[in-house]
Amino acid sequence: MSASGIDAMSQRRRVRRSAWLWAMIAAGFYLGFIVLTLLRGTQ
Amino acid sequence: MAEDLTHAAPHGEHDHKPHGWRRWVYATNHKDIGTMYLIFACTMFFIGGGAAMLIRLELFSPGLQFFDPQFFNSLTTMHALIMIFGAVMPAWTGLANWMIPMQLGAPDMALPRLNNLSFWILPFAFTLLLATFFVPGGAPAGGWTMYPPLMLQTGAAFPMLIFSVHLMGASSILGAINVIVTIINMRAPGITLMRMPLFVWTWLITAYLLIAVMPVLAGAVTMLLTDHFFGTTFFTAAGGGDPVMFQHIFWFFGHPEVYILILPAFGIVSEVIPTFARKPLFGYEAMVYATASIAFLSFIVWAHHMFTVGMPLAAQLFFMLSTMLIAVPTGVKVFNWTTTMWKGSLSFEPPMLFALAFLFLFTIGGFSGLMLAIVPADYQYQDTYFVVAHFHYVLVPGAIFGIMAGVYYWLPKWSGRMYDQTLAKWHFWLSAIFVNVLFFPQHFLGLAGMPRRIPDYAVQFTDWNRVSSIGGFGFGLAQLLLPYLIWKCIRAGKPIGNRAWEGAHGLEWELPSPAPYHSWTEPPSDAVIARGAEH
Repeated sequence: MSASGIDAMSQRRRVRRSAWLWAMIAAGFYLGFIVLTLLRGTQ
Repeated sequence: MAEDLTHAAPHGEHDHKPHGWRRWVYATNHKDIGTMYLIFACTMFFIGGGAAMLIRLELFSPGLQFFDPQFFNSLTTMHALIMIFGAVMPAWTGLANWMIPMQLGAPDMALPRLNNLSFWILPFAFTLLLATFFVPGGAPAGGWTMYPPLMLQTGAAFPMLIFSVHLMGASSILGAINVIVTIINMRAPGITLMRMPLFVWTWLITAYLLIAVMPVLAGAVTMLLTDHFFGTTFFTAAGGGDPVMFQHIFWFFGHPEVYILILPAFGIVSEVIPTFARKPLFGYEAMVYATASIAFLSFIVWAHHMFTVGMPLAAQLFFMLSTMLIAVPTGVKVFNWTTTMWKGSLSFEPPMLFALAFLFLFTIGGFSGLMLAIVPADYQYQDTYFVVAHFHYVLVPGAIFGIMAGVYYWLPKWSGRMYDQTLAKWHFWLSAIFVNVLFFPQHFLGLAGMPRRIPDYAVQFTDWNRVSSIGGFGFGLAQLLLPYLIWKCIRAGKPIGNRAWEGAHGLEWELPSPAPYHSWTEPPSDAVIARGAEH
């Protein structure tokens, strides 16, 4: 625990975890939508 | 994954303020990146504004004066793309970069390197887009909505347009991820979600909207690309496709996009009005829920943009009623802003003037939006200048005035100096008068039947077009005051204390002016939070 009362490591972990989560959601949306439409287009 | 920053984490090499070009190219400081976003947005505002002035020049008289119809259509298309993706959205991201960490008591955005990438994608995207003016076939001319089959007739500019739209989308999504991660994780202890300033709240909701809808735009333009180059027939009826499907997909992105452009303005107005009314914001929680409601409703109204293309009666009714429903949370907001001013000790400094003009003029745009939502009436208004008047009332005295209010509100904090308020009031009054001279007559033109996106028109529309053009030239020239005023402020403005405005509350006003290069390296104390977090 740091002097400021914040557990820096845990905050760092939380930042990294939520960054990955949102990156995955955004990439899933972004690529998923394109891949789905392209698959549909080739049928 | 980009480097993350925490309160207690040492800044390492970021402790020192870099100099020269490296400070900007390798920027990871939220204030530097915010400044670059704002400069970029201002540049694009003047380029897009230049296109608008050329449009109004051509429309000053009936007949073809200066441009061939193809180039005129390129001007309208590029004006919209530049203003939406190049001016308004980057301006909001710039303000978010500057203010969100300062308002939350955070040392920086959570993902500074990602922040750098988000910004530096933009100059490449817009160089590519603007370069289309110089390729065979000219710049895209099918409208910013890029409807097929017309858009598929674009020349060499077509793949450049699609790639630049992808780049803009990627930049927006990365920026949105950064905003969400920052707000969720970087708030100082004691800053609960329901103690966040409204600007932060509206940006959080905007960021969710961006992540939800930018991929839809990417998918739509990718399908256009494959239709053009790879033999698919998504939107070609001859191959079993459907051009109307593009309109549905586009507007599923396009309507939430309207709220992406306007929600942060709601946040700024919610900061400015309490400051200059010297009263807390009336109905803070209602404002948060109203913003979230507007964002939710924005996903279920898209087809009101395309009533005339044909759809079942039940669908028309659904989209008409769901659109009208948006007036409820919007009405809550207008009521709360008005009630905040009720019996307040009002003063009318430039940010307040822009916020008040926003309140009146955005409401006019909202009312004409309600008119357009009525299906049988929309059959008359569709593709006329009435629509042009409507969305410009929403976006110019709405989004742009919101940005102006934010810039005039926080410029003293950024620069440490007070700007020339007389000149800023000149900027306001010229803008407020000319914006109405510019756009109000377009309601009359539309109701009289003048179609949009045409370089020529019947002679009976001449008078109001001339009035509109004069308004356009006046509004455009008045905007030159802004960069001059900022330059003058930075160079010779009178130094100010921490709290530039007597009635201002919020953590940003607890910092010195100008805000230090690294702010809140230690989280604010409970006492500072208590003083700053009054809404």
